[in-house]
Amino acid sequence: MRSLRSRLLLALLAALLFTGVAASAATYLQARAEIDRILDYQLRQQALALRDNHFRAGLDPDPAQDIVVQVWDRYGAQLYLSHRSRPLPRLRELGFADVTQDGERWRVYAVSVGSELIQVGQPLGIRQKMAADAALRLLLPVLAALPLFGALIWWILGRGLLPLRRLAASIAQRAPSSLSPLPVAGQPSETLPMVGALNDLLARLEVALRRQREFAADAAHELRTPLTAVRLQAQLLERANSAEERDEAISALHAGVERAAHLIDRLLLLARLEPEAMTQPFAPVDLAALAAQLAQDLDAAAAAKSIRLSERAAGPVVVTGDRPALHALLRNLMENAVHYTQAGGSVEVSVDTRDGHARVTVTDDGPGIPAAERERVLDRFYRCAGSPGQGSGLGLAIAEQAAALHGARLELGDPPGHRGLCVRVTFPPSRRGDAAPATPPGS
Amino acid sequence: MRVLLVEDDQMIGAALQRGLAREGYAVDWVRDGPAADAAVAGEPYSVVVLDLGLPGRDGATVLASMRQRRCDTPVIIVTARDGRGDRIRGLDLGADDYVVKPFDLDELAARIRAVTRRHAGRSSPQIRHGSLTLDPAARTLTRDGAPVALTAREFELLHTLMRRPRAVYSRQALEERLYGWEDSVGSNAVEVHIHHLRRKLGAGVIENIRGQGYRLGQPA
Repeated sequence: MRSLRSRLLLALLAALLFTGVAASAATYLQARAEIDRILDYQLRQQALALRDNHFRAGLDPDPAQDIVVQVWDRYGAQLYLSHRSRPLPRLRELGFADVTQDGERWRVYAVSVGSELIQVGQPLGIRQKMAADAALRLLLPVLAALPLFGALIWWILGRGLLPLRRLAASIAQRAPSSLSPLPVAGQPSETLPMVGALNDLLARLEVALRRQREFAADAAHELRTPLTAVRLQAQLLERANSAEERDEAISALHAGVERAAHLIDRLLLLARLEPEAMTQPFAPVDLAALAAQLAQDLDAAAAAKSIRLSERAAGPVVVTGDRPALHALLRNLMENAVHYTQAGGSVEVSVDTRDGHARVTVTDDGPGIPAAERERVLDRFYRCAGSPGQGSGLGLAIAEQAAALHGARLELGDPPGHRGLCVRVTFPPSRRGDAAPATPPGS
Repeated sequence: MRVLLVEDDQMIGAALQRGLAREGYAVDWVRDGPAADAAVAGEPYSVVVLDLGLPGRDGATVLASMRQRRCDTPVIIVTARDGRGDRIRGLDLGADDYVVKPFDLDELAARIRAVTRRHAGRSSPQIRHGSLTLDPAARTLTRDGAPVALTAREFELLHTLMRRPRAVYSRQALEERLYGWEDSVGSNAVEVHIHHLRRKLGAGVIENIRGQGYRLGQPA
């Protein structure tokens, strides 16, 4: 039973039928009591009439009333029986009594006249039949009207459910690309929450889709730059006419391909950090150990520039998160610091906990980022004017996204006392004793 | 011919400078807007190749201020944004042409030739002068149909004079048009090239205008 309409129709008809049956049952009971009262009175009148008239009248009762009259003498001999085929047992007590004779229930009234006993009886079946007739008279019209009611209910339900059908049609008619909200005006209060929830979903979908589109467009545009370099370098290679020129062109070409590959890696990483792309449940990760490992990985790069790279942590600092994402977060911050700090500079990474918040702080004494640009450097593909090297402009965007994934805050600030940049990631307080892996947002 | 290349990307800039130099252009390369403004104001470029996505002061602003100063040097925009709106905006700002990344060296060179040709008011790709025919695309010179071998500098010098046959150029003006910042110019380099051209094409091909400089003359 899928249709709301037919389900409601059946339920309403059943309710109607039930009401009809209940009403007739009540009528039956009430009629029985009334009939008992009236017919008992008649029985008694009949018996008293026989007594008072000394049997001159009333020995032949109305056959329609199905009344049986018997008269006994004091010794128990039957003096009179109105219906020979239907004898009633002799009763000792006077007044009303219910007796069973040959499987039939009787109502009997007895009265004594001198030494004789007059018994007037009537089968109870006649009373039941009268009450049942009354009840049926009430029920029959209800039963007869049931199909008419059904048709009416069907029609009313159809009209009542019209807004729902209209809503479905308006959703069905939408272009697949249309994410504009559904009209709220004119919605009945029953469908309003549904439309609201749907509009909410559409809005979120729209944001997600727009982000994806922007990302795809940005990525395509950004890839054009290294591709242009590669294409130009390939043409230079074609035209090189000395071994020296050729070697130079080949190494430039390699660098160009390397750069395009690096950009693609970064783009993929960024795409994987989308909340929708998270598939693994969060697990405990020790940030201090992660930072120590990364410091080791970057040691060679730092040493090549004579940069002092140090890592400081008092002990394990565990957060619940996605290990690859946290790795990308720390790696990008540390790589950036090493990359942009001039030779001979220093980069310091510290991992600690303050007020229940796990924190990672990367401080360098490089050129820093002007305060006005600190907001924008978190944007994808934004590079500061005069940035050295061939950065993708994605490092901080990746770090930001990874931080956001964990509900962590990424801030750029001035290091205390000296020049350079201080990047701090502050994680939300961990729920103590929370061993169950949290579900990543968006899953 | 001197080309000003405005490009912030190290790899693209290096490749373009090298590639255009191979085409015979003297290429000056600047990496940001302010440097481009200064270069355009100070030197006689035949064409400016301008990347729109510059740090600091973007290419569109550089172009707009150039045109505002009534500098009519042809400008070719290089852009990664190929939306219709982007192209229209670039052309409306006063660009003569545009190329969309990733472009190729031959395409850019062809557009540079086309733009300079149009700038000189010609529509034919070849320049004729008497019995001489100069083909900037093929970088060849023929006299009465017979090819004449020229060095790159000789070709550029003759090309410069033939583009504006009546103009008189001082020695310094010719140097500025032939040599980029990174080229070392000998004190009599221009005279040496003129001497060679006269030997190949006849003494009358380049006239001396006393006290003023040089002008295209009649080939022998």
